Amino acid sequence: MRYFIKNANIIDPARRIATIGNILIEHGLVAQVFDMADFGMPSEPDQGIEVIDARGSIVAPGFIDLHAHLREPGDEHKETIATAGQAAARGGFTTICAMPDTTPATDTAGAARQLADTARRQSVVKVAPIGAVTAGRKGSQLAELAELAEAGCVALSEAGRTIADAALMRNALSYAAMLGLPLLAHCEDARLTNGWAMHEGAVSTRLGLPGFPSSAEETIIARDIALAESVGAHLHICNVSTSGGVALIRAAKERGLRVTAEVTPHHLTLSERWVLGSLAQWTALPRTPPAESKKRKRGKKSEPGLGLPSWLDPSLLPPYDASTRVNPPLRAEEDVEALIEGLRDGTIDAIASGHSPQSMVEKNVEYRLAAPGISALETALALVLTLVHRGEIDLLDMVAKLTEGPASVLGRAPATLRPGSAADIVIFDPEQSWMVDPREFVSLGHNTPLTGQKLKGQVMLTMVAGEIAYRRGSFGVGTGVLRQASKLEGILEE
Amino acid sequence: MTSTSTRRRHVLDLDDFSQAEITEVIETTASMKEVLGRSIKQVPALRSKTVVNMFFEESTRTRISFELAAKALSANVVTMSAKGSSVEKGESLLDTMRTLQALGADLIVMRHGEAGAPYYLAEHFNGSVINAGDGRHAHPTQALLDLFTIHERLGQIEGLKVVIVGDILHSRVARSNIWGLTIMGAQVTLCAPPTLLGPPGFWLATWPSLIITSDLAAALAGADVVMTLRLQNERQQAGLLPSLREYSRLFGISAARMALAAPHAIVMHPGPINEGVEIMPDVASSAQSVITDQVTNGVAVRMALLYRLAGG
Repeated sequence: MRYFIKNANIIDPARRIATIGNILIEHGLVAQVFDMADFGMPSEPDQGIEVIDARGSIVAPGFIDLHAHLREPGDEHKETIATAGQAAARGGFTTICAMPDTTPATDTAGAARQLADTARRQSVVKVAPIGAVTAGRKGSQLAELAELAEAGCVALSEAGRTIADAALMRNALSYAAMLGLPLLAHCEDARLTNGWAMHEGAVSTRLGLPGFPSSAEETIIARDIALAESVGAHLHICNVSTSGGVALIRAAKERGLRVTAEVTPHHLTLSERWVLGSLAQWTALPRTPPAESKKRKRGKKSEPGLGLPSWLDPSLLPPYDASTRVNPPLRAEEDVEALIEGLRDGTIDAIASGHSPQSMVEKNVEYRLAAPGISALETALALVLTLVHRGEIDLLDMVAKLTEGPASVLGRAPATLRPGSAADIVIFDPEQSWMVDPREFVSLGHNTPLTGQKLKGQVMLTMVAGEIAYRRGSFGVGTGVLRQASKLEGILEE
Repeated sequence: MTSTSTRRRHVLDLDDFSQAEITEVIETTASMKEVLGRSIKQVPALRSKTVVNMFFEESTRTRISFELAAKALSANVVTMSAKGSSVEKGESLLDTMRTLQALGADLIVMRHGEAGAPYYLAEHFNGSVINAGDGRHAHPTQALLDLFTIHERLGQIEGLKVVIVGDILHSRVARSNIWGLTIMGAQVTLCAPPTLLGPPGFWLATWPSLIITSDLAAALAGADVVMTLRLQNERQQAGLLPSLREYSRLFGISAARMALAAPHAIVMHPGPINEGVEIMPDVASSAQSVITDQVTNGVAVRMALLYRLAGG
């Protein structure tokens, strides 16, 4: 199939360009890009080409997700490779990296090949396997890392666990360096987080929930940076969540170390206050009575210059709602600000979804006992766009953190719309408002704290290797001139 | 959440109580206490209502107190004790609640080891929920009986200097009392070693008027009320304390320490007491101690709350 995307607002971070133009796609590749200034730009393509009119939408390279839990094999009631692929396409992602914490874990070449093979047959997006660092993710013996690399693993990770034994971690980093793969580290000192329910801070103190202190993340980030430096490895920090963590990564980068980092959309936009839910209205004494506080909230909503259809509003949730439980936990507002600053100044390289689908069985229990995780692929873009709409980060930089950033973490050529590159493309309308309803998710994981929130920004079409993987309604159809259409159809349209 | 203008449906914590509502509860409690002093200690206020006490954690005094309160109001009372969390039991809290609902429960009184469990229950249950203690979070009926006892003894709450001493970090009694006392206008001081308190800023973010210290002598100076908390032995095993002996020496309430407080000061304890650790035996049985009054008043307070939710 050949496609002609016209009237496209093209954003190509790898070339630092934002322009309006048309894109011709042939044989799974970007064949030609014509921008407005290009006199050779055909306004009407040849026959047999499907025209997609992208007027009003952004056309960008497809997003790359460094961090998704696909749950297959072992937990197919939570998600499958097929449903995760559909959710990714719906979220604008054209490549997702599969965390190895399946049952069994992706800790052998055979498991990695099987995952890749299933994905080729069942997923509408590209799936890149990540190999486990230790056998069975038990933290006691290295997995056969070189064979995992040969089987196509793009990175190594212990997925959601920290290797407690520093000597073993150093050996793993040495091996990763030999193989030229990044080691994706989840940073959590389990002795400091024993029995945790949420971030340790003002809200956990008020709610009486056992805390996950920031220092539990920061101490391991510091340790792993020192270990990576000692063996010259590429350390990548998974979902950094604390201001102290950002500072450590910034300092490591300033010293020229090969340290990269990712952050999730929810850690960039939500805070510990989401665990308060409706109690968030009353945070400090003296309290305003409910009627007054509602008035104040309405006033806040109409504050000028923020351009959002509404504020993200934690008080739509009941208190202690298990959908807000995630690892690492939603942090304090100062941490959220530090993460945004880290994204802006380049300390944080990529936005990764951290997609962690859970079934209702794991979530419909007491808060601390609920399995952590947020089903994130289908809300990721709209959530990070809240930062763009608030003026915290510009659109080009945000797209870069979803495309060029993750590609560079994987040591790949930057995702781009340059002619000759794979036609992995996302088209999204940054202004389109919608309300989050998890029942509409294609992911099997309906676990999201965003139920009922109004977000702005909707993926309209996702193309993987030149084929349409997702299309919202009949986006782009009909408004364009279809060359193969009969003359009669043209008359009927008038 | 309910305000005084609309009828309250649940009692989950004191954070959604106004000063006026707490005052009303104290007044109703006084009437209920009068009922308990009669030869026939029963009124028909909750006749034909079914109250289920659901205790997922061991409790003697709170469970019996709720049972007596419901019986004094002529309600049908059933108590179920189920040790362990729903996950350990392989039965979900939601399923247990649905069963009780189908059996016709009007009001559930729940004690649970996990903070927030009563909110989860209230979200799904058609009737009323009273929190009888959830994890480290809240114990609103204990706080209300403490407020009633303070008011009964000292005639007021506003303006009093109240010191809470002990394992505050892990205490649901402390949290609910901080809400109740602050709402009623008392000046609250928290006193504990930092390992049983956490960073002061974590408390001040929600309750900016608190005074937080590890200096017991300074905290006690001129205090009207000294509230002691139970110290569980496992805190030492968890490495939060060097030894019970040293803890007692630094934070135990002795007669000499009580002398630092105001002459009319009262000393309280939610029970059960570790005599010789957080409070010395002579203090616990002194004229300043209101510990047994707390237990007696507990029944009346719970009657007042049951009546408020399900009566009339």
